[in-house]
Amino acid sequence: MLTYLLFALVVGSVYALLAQSLMLSWGLAGLVNLGLAGFFAVGAYASAMLVAWGHAPVLLGPLAAMAAAGVAGLVVCFSTLRLRDDYLAIVTLGFAEVVRLVASNEVWLTGGTDGISGIPGFLRRESGMAFHLGTLALALLAVAAVYLLQRRLLRSPWGRALRSVREDETVAAVAGKNVVRFKAQAFALAAAIAGLAGALYGHYTSYVAPDQFQPLITIYIFLAVTAGGNARPAGAVVGAYLLVGFLEATRFAAEWLPELSALQRASLREMLVGLGLVVVLSLRPDGLLPERSQKAPSR
Amino acid sequence: MTDVSRRHLLGGTVLAAGVLALPGLVRAQQDGPIKLGTLTPLTGSGGSYGPGMAEVVKKAAAEINQAGGVLGRPLSIISEDDQTNPEAGLRAARKLIDIDGVSAIIGTWASSVTTAVAPVCWQAGVLLATVSGADSITRLPHNGFIIRTQPNTSLQGRKFGEFALEVGAKTVAFMSPQTPFTDAQFAELTKVVTAAGGKTTSLIYDDKKTTFRTEVDQVLRGRPDAIVMGGYTTDTAVLIRDLYRANYRGKLLGFAYAVNRQLVEALPADVSEGIYTLSPSAAEGSGGYGRVAKLLGVDAPDTYACQVYDHLNLIALAMAAGGGATGAIVRDHLRKVAQGGGQPVNNAAEGLRMLAAGGKVDYDGASGPCDFTEIGDITDARFRYEQVQGGKITLLKIA
Repeated sequence: MLTYLLFALVVGSVYALLAQSLMLSWGLAGLVNLGLAGFFAVGAYASAMLVAWGHAPVLLGPLAAMAAAGVAGLVVCFSTLRLRDDYLAIVTLGFAEVVRLVASNEVWLTGGTDGISGIPGFLRRESGMAFHLGTLALALLAVAAVYLLQRRLLRSPWGRALRSVREDETVAAVAGKNVVRFKAQAFALAAAIAGLAGALYGHYTSYVAPDQFQPLITIYIFLAVTAGGNARPAGAVVGAYLLVGFLEATRFAAEWLPELSALQRASLREMLVGLGLVVVLSLRPDGLLPERSQKAPSR
Repeated sequence: MTDVSRRHLLGGTVLAAGVLALPGLVRAQQDGPIKLGTLTPLTGSGGSYGPGMAEVVKKAAAEINQAGGVLGRPLSIISEDDQTNPEAGLRAARKLIDIDGVSAIIGTWASSVTTAVAPVCWQAGVLLATVSGADSITRLPHNGFIIRTQPNTSLQGRKFGEFALEVGAKTVAFMSPQTPFTDAQFAELTKVVTAAGGKTTSLIYDDKKTTFRTEVDQVLRGRPDAIVMGGYTTDTAVLIRDLYRANYRGKLLGFAYAVNRQLVEALPADVSEGIYTLSPSAAEGSGGYGRVAKLLGVDAPDTYACQVYDHLNLIALAMAAGGGATGAIVRDHLRKVAQGGGQPVNNAAEGLRMLAAGGKVDYDGASGPCDFTEIGDITDARFRYEQVQGGKITLLKIA
């Protein structure tokens, strides 16, 4: 029972990191990033390869993951500079699929569809409850660190400039802001956060494989961020934990209807997730924690 | 509508989640029923196989319960959906193990899901019975907690090679999506065919595509006289159609789980005419296959339904033989009821009676003889050779 709760919380923390990544690129910079699963994968693979195959210390893994995903973010950002909105969404979705296909087909590099198994954890897996508790503590620490960083960034001049880029690129450029630089920085940072989530996930579950990075996970995170509020770090975090809570709770709801077949219950679960989003959006269109309007700093 | 405050909505959500989870939290453990989980793909790309698997386990368990259960306790089956996704599958497995307290998980289908779920199972001492084929699975350090009834892929590759030669092919092309077993399968196939003086080529395609015209053209340039199809139902249907359109009239060989009745019925009879299929099979007349057919109410159940039926029966028998209901007991006694001589049985109810009477049983199931090696692979598999003739799948032989 307790293990299950701890497990759900770690998964929730991984989702919370991904949600914060999406909040930064989508909510603040206005870059619709459907490539989230791709950066998640790059991070997970970078860390897994380095630690499981390269026998590097485990703590180096997340650093490598952030670096690799950040670089991937820069590449994607610079190759899509002239794209906005729907077009950017399509290209980033394509990027995620490319990552997944490369991971499944370039067997020499990634181990192919077999994936990488037996990735060492941050703590000894044999230590049972201590392993789960310790990993949860690390995951929460990561969530908190990213949360504080984002809050700090949001309040800084950098955050204000980023929001002005989101609202109107031309106006921001006329005001003397280097639009490309702001976009690239935000996108790379967001990608690095997603990479960190990937590293955490891989080291906790001991296994990464291309199948884990299907677009489904991106959709889940979009749900979480939309429900929580897409321009507030707290909104992203709350949304992510609520989503995991909701996904897991629907399993038990299905047991109230024993006359349904397993397939019907599985479908019902998916419907409940959709229904949940509709309810949240009709009651709170801006999410649970909408963006605060900020006063201009006084001089 | 926007006058619902954030606090109320948040509170409401948390409350709702809590209420939903309530039945799981208050459920009593111990002495009651013996809990077993099925973790099959009910949605996602395995969604056409999983529902039948979950259903057959449930029905077979009901049969066992009717006959008095195992060790005087009824079996209770909890079905979860792995969504054909390792991430979702792992969450479901955690719930089955930590909340429901199952002693075995039956039916993981995709190799990636099995590999993701396996460590959680062997750490918790839960037996994992799987239908995944990747060679790498039984090589994991699982301490005996994994068994699989699906022949490993090297064996299947070999059988396909031999079958292709048997139908008179010299140049064999292999077309498959990228799966954990593609490479091993092609390597074995090549070994057999080249040994007989033939040659092979392979082409990996993306199974999400809606047409394979370019892939088909590329393969046909090599003028193969047999094509082995390694995909699943959805992509294989597209492939067969495109091969027909490209005027390919050579031999076609596929897995019976891909070229199944659904597929044959969906295609015009002249398109599917003459396709050979191969599937692991029970010995002819062992009776297990017929029992699964009757449980599901169809005349030709797929191999996965047969395999999970065997998983459940083996687990029930092992529990009875070991006198306990934990995963470790199942692991320690499974081979005693699966092989090594004894009265042959093809269902648990009968076997349980024999065990209770102090006899020894040797389970021969719906999917095959179900004898396992040390690492959990099956030792011997018979195969069922069939051919589509006039829009009907016709049995050629079992060997």
